[in-house]
Amino acid sequence: MIAAAPRLPVFAAALGALTLLAAVGSMLVGPAGLAPQAVLRGLFTADADTVALVVQQIRLPRTVLAAGIGAVLGLSGAALQGYLRNPLAEPGLIGVTGAAALGAVLMLYTGASQSFALALPAGGMVGAMLAVLLVLLLAGRAADTLTLILAGVAVTSFASALTSLALNLAPSPFAALEIVFWLLGSLSGRSLEHVALALPFMLVGGALIVSTARALDALALGEDAAQSLGFRLGAVRWRLVLGTALAVGAATAVAGAIGFVGLVVPHVLRPLVGHKPSALLPVSALGGAVLLLLADILVRVITPAQELKLGVVTALIGAPFFFTLVIKSRRRLA
Amino acid sequence: MRRHLHAERHIRRTGTRLAAGALVLACALLAGPVAARPSNVVSLNICTDQLAIQLLEPDRIASVSFLAADPHYSVVADKAEQFHLNRGRAEAILRLDPDLVLAGTYTSPATVRLLRRLGYEVVQVPPPRDLAAAREQIRTVADALGVPDRGERLIARIDRRLARAAPEGSHARRPVAAVYEANGVTPGRGELAHAVLHAAGLRNLAARRGLRNLAPLPLEALVMADPAVLVFVSRRDAPPSQAQNLLAHPALAALKQRAAVAVVPPALWSCGGPQLARAVERLAQARARALAAPEATR
Repeated sequence: MIAAAPRLPVFAAALGALTLLAAVGSMLVGPAGLAPQAVLRGLFTADADTVALVVQQIRLPRTVLAAGIGAVLGLSGAALQGYLRNPLAEPGLIGVTGAAALGAVLMLYTGASQSFALALPAGGMVGAMLAVLLVLLLAGRAADTLTLILAGVAVTSFASALTSLALNLAPSPFAALEIVFWLLGSLSGRSLEHVALALPFMLVGGALIVSTARALDALALGEDAAQSLGFRLGAVRWRLVLGTALAVGAATAVAGAIGFVGLVVPHVLRPLVGHKPSALLPVSALGGAVLLLLADILVRVITPAQELKLGVVTALIGAPFFFTLVIKSRRRLA
Repeated sequence: MRRHLHAERHIRRTGTRLAAGALVLACALLAGPVAARPSNVVSLNICTDQLAIQLLEPDRIASVSFLAADPHYSVVADKAEQFHLNRGRAEAILRLDPDLVLAGTYTSPATVRLLRRLGYEVVQVPPPRDLAAAREQIRTVADALGVPDRGERLIARIDRRLARAAPEGSHARRPVAAVYEANGVTPGRGELAHAVLHAAGLRNLAARRGLRNLAPLPLEALVMADPAVLVFVSRRDAPPSQAQNLLAHPALAALKQRAAVAVVPPALWSCGGPQLARAVERLAQARARALAAPEATR
């Protein structure tokens, strides 16, 4: 951990550069097949020609959302793992994204978000909030892994059942088919309107989570130690709950439930930067952005005509990770 | 000699009469058991629904599909309301004990299999893929309903109206048109809509891109193609969904300002019928607007 400290800025800078590179790649990929110079001109031109439309209205929102959503998922994963002192804590696994999707579904298909656009992220955030509170209530802080996962499974399956029910009852003939979008997530067809709806909440939520970093460091030493260092644990918990709900809720409301990012990214980065949450949080945000940007490039490259859902790619990367974690924890228990 | 001639004439006359009788008999046999007009018809498919309502007396129709009563999909929605509306479930149809069931090739396959096994007369028609197929569909259904002459009259009416609706000079200049449906799909070659676009003097973007049937068209590709005519099929007040919301994408809104926009609901061009002419008229109007627009704005 001591050795990790001087390495941290280097890693952060490298991840930052990687994020930028992935973002550039995301801007360059698409069925229109634009040359890099055309994309560059289209990004900064004030004309409303077709290239500018494609770059500014279709690719830019996609890139911004992929980076932002990946960042908040990575960040909230790292923070939840630190706070709950549990390697499997992640917004997807503990049911936060599932509940956020349910909240957004209720707002979108009833037409509430048509008459009041902010209802969409609001629904996602309320759903996420309820899920975090429910899991904390069911499992409690520093609950054993099994209890936490069971609470997460309960919340997730309940939320996904209610999501299916809501979509089946929705008046739109397309609704029932869109269960895939909500369970697996996608950035296809997103616009700057979605960015405007979600990004402010994601920024505020992300800032709230980052503000708990020092307290999470202290908490790693135990609750008593943290309290003696002057951290008010109640306030820390509320900032973390609110931050996760805002960030993950708003992100899920516009892109569906994207799993595994919050699980994989902190685990990959922890050996590189050490276990201190204050070091892990910022790099996890960058790592999440890189992962989701790359995943969103992949879905466009693998099957250009009919895009894969993002959750398919993140699960393909994340599920093997999950397996190794299970095997590791079994060894520890044995 | 004279008697002989007389006899010969008699034989010949009898022969003619026999031949005529055989012809009538053959016709009756060819037309099969449906020559007797069915009196309790159930239709499971939106195309056969509309044809049955247009061709047959209402008291001979037992049930049509629920889509027939939806004006978004059906041009005879007001007339369909008087019938029992089915959702293709075998149970409801068995209770009606129909003497003829009309179905699409792809509608309710399980129901059709069950009805056939139970000995019900089921006539299946494929979805019309072009104007010729639409005529053929009308002929098939009219024959099955025992009203072939009404079918021919309907076809003649469609052809007259289509000929009137087709724009002048449609072969010389064909602006590119794109149909964009919910979920970002577009009808390519092999869809009736493609044939209707052609009849209206337009060139279908989807077919130019080699797309067949109903195929996804990425929004980026649509924007880059910058079609002169943009066709939408859905109503403004459609219930919200992600598929529907895609049509409100800002990039599409910008494209709409550059193109001539036409709205042609499925009722007008998913089945064969006189309504096809109305689809052609709407598209031809959009074509005229596109051709009138100064080139500089494109």
